[in-house]
Parts: sequence; structure tokens; C-alpha cells
Amino acid sequence: MNHVTAEKPRSPLSHFWHTWRFHINVLLLMVPLGFMPKYFADAALFRGDTGLGQREIGEVQVGPWSLRLAEFRNEGPVSDGPAGPIKYFNAALCDSCRDQVKATYLRIGKPRSLRAAGVIFFGTPYRMGAGVPVPEKTKTDAELWITMEGWDGAMHQASIPLSQASPATLAWLNKQGGKP
Amino acid sequence: MINAFRPLHAVLLVLCAAFSTSALAHNPMCECKAIDAEQIQCTGGFSDGSGAPGVTLDVIGYDETILVPGKLGADSTLTFKKPGAEFYVLFDAGPGHVVEIDQADIEAP
Repeated sequence: MNHVTAEKPRSPLSHFWHTWRFHINVLLLMVPLGFMPKYFADAALFRGDTGLGQREIGEVQVGPWSLRLAEFRNEGPVSDGPAGPIKYFNAALCDSCRDQVKATYLRIGKPRSLRAAGVIFFGTPYRMGAGVPVPEKTKTDAELWITMEGWDGAMHQASIPLSQASPATLAWLNKQGGKP
Repeated sequence: MINAFRPLHAVLLVLCAAFSTSALAHNPMCECKAIDAEQIQCTGGFSDGSGAPGVTLDVIGYDETILVPGKLGADSTLTFKKPGAEFYVLFDAGPGHVVEIDQADIEAP
């Protein structure tokens, strides 16, 4: 008696699996392809191939210096857990001020002092980044203050309306419903 | 010999990839609350969950005079007597790594 003929007949599901398993596995290998455009867009954004950020704000004059400011992502702040919502900006110093500027700070609202000038930009002068905490109670007419400190001890400040710096953050604030 | 370590390498690689984003940013954070009518307690730390023992925390008046110069204790907290003048709390973990808390934002007991 033959062993094979003694086996139970295959279920339809088993038959389907044995017929199509190679094709199904090829399809599975193709799943990551769907994520490729986002992956390459992110890689280009992080590398700087698509510019300073997703949305350029423009050149901001700060005393004798200036910097090119951009929103890293054209979206509202992202939550950093207990530290609250953080909005990331990128900046590049002007050609002539790269050697003169020691530090650049960013803050929502006018800083009380240089010590409390806000978050510091880190990275090369050609492409630096900073994450500004955005309290949920931030007013929609708030301003983004840039403080620049020179190696000679000089300090210069400038501000731009938050609505100009990041319309997406303003939309996010409006969506919060004006929390107290 | 080398082959025996390959699965370990693979596991390490996967773990590194999985936890890489959490190491990207650790923003300073600070929380203050009034524990009674006279005393205020502030707790500092970083958003990656680490504490901030020994980090400077100053209580500064609106006129920029330092009312209470302090450092956080081993438990990342500092308790101080509420100043009479208007003030704000500055958690200062270095230039650009500060958190400001205005007196108006300190919860009553």
C-alpha cells in the first residue's frame, strides 16, 4: 500500500497556500516599496538636499547679522512627552557672520535676559537646528525672538510674528481651543 | 566562533534601530508647585527620563536680581521659601538648556 494515498486530502486553504505561497511572499517583499517615497523624502530633508527645511521663512536681520530661518517640518509642534510640545526650526548664518557669532537662541516671547534667551541652535553655521517649546497657552499674536551672541560679547535681538514663522503652529494653537 | 555571534549582532542592530529615535532629543523640563503657603518645591529633569541632580535652579526677581541661588538635590528637587517680591524660577542646565517658570504658573497647594 502506498503511503501517499493513505494521507488525508488537503483542505482548500492548504491547497491555496501551497499553490500561491511563492507569489504571496513576493508580494510581501514589495510592501516596503510603499514606504520608500516617505523614506527618501525624510532622508533628503535630514541631509539638507531639499533645502534648510520644509518651509523657508526667509532672511531675518538681527542687528548687524542675519540668518536664514526655516521650519524643519511644515507642521505644528510635536509632543516630547513630559517636556511638552516642541517645534523644530533650522537656521543658517549669513556668510559674513559665521566667524563672529558664538551662539544663537530662539524663544517664543521676549527673553528676560541672555541667560533665559531660550533654546540654543546646535550644528554647523550652515545648517543648525533648535527645538522651541510651545506652551499650549501661547497667544496667537506671540512673537518668535532670535537672540544672537557674538564672540566679542555683543548681543543682538530680533523678532518675527509667530504667524509668519510658522502658520502651522498658529493653526495648531487655534485647534487647542485657547487653553488658559 | 564568529558565526555564533551573528544572531547577537542582528538583535543588537534591531534594538539600536528601535531605540534610536528616543535618544534624539532630551529637552530640559521643570515643574514647580507650592507645597504649603510658604514653600515651593521644584523638580527638574530631562524628557528622556533622566534626573537633574546638581543642576542650577535660581529664583530670580522681575528686576533680574537672584533671590535664591540654588542647586537641585540628589532627588532632583529643590524646596525654597516663597520670596516676597515678584519672581520666576530658572532651571539652568547650561546655555540654551533652560526652563523658565513664572510665579503665575506655579500651582497653589
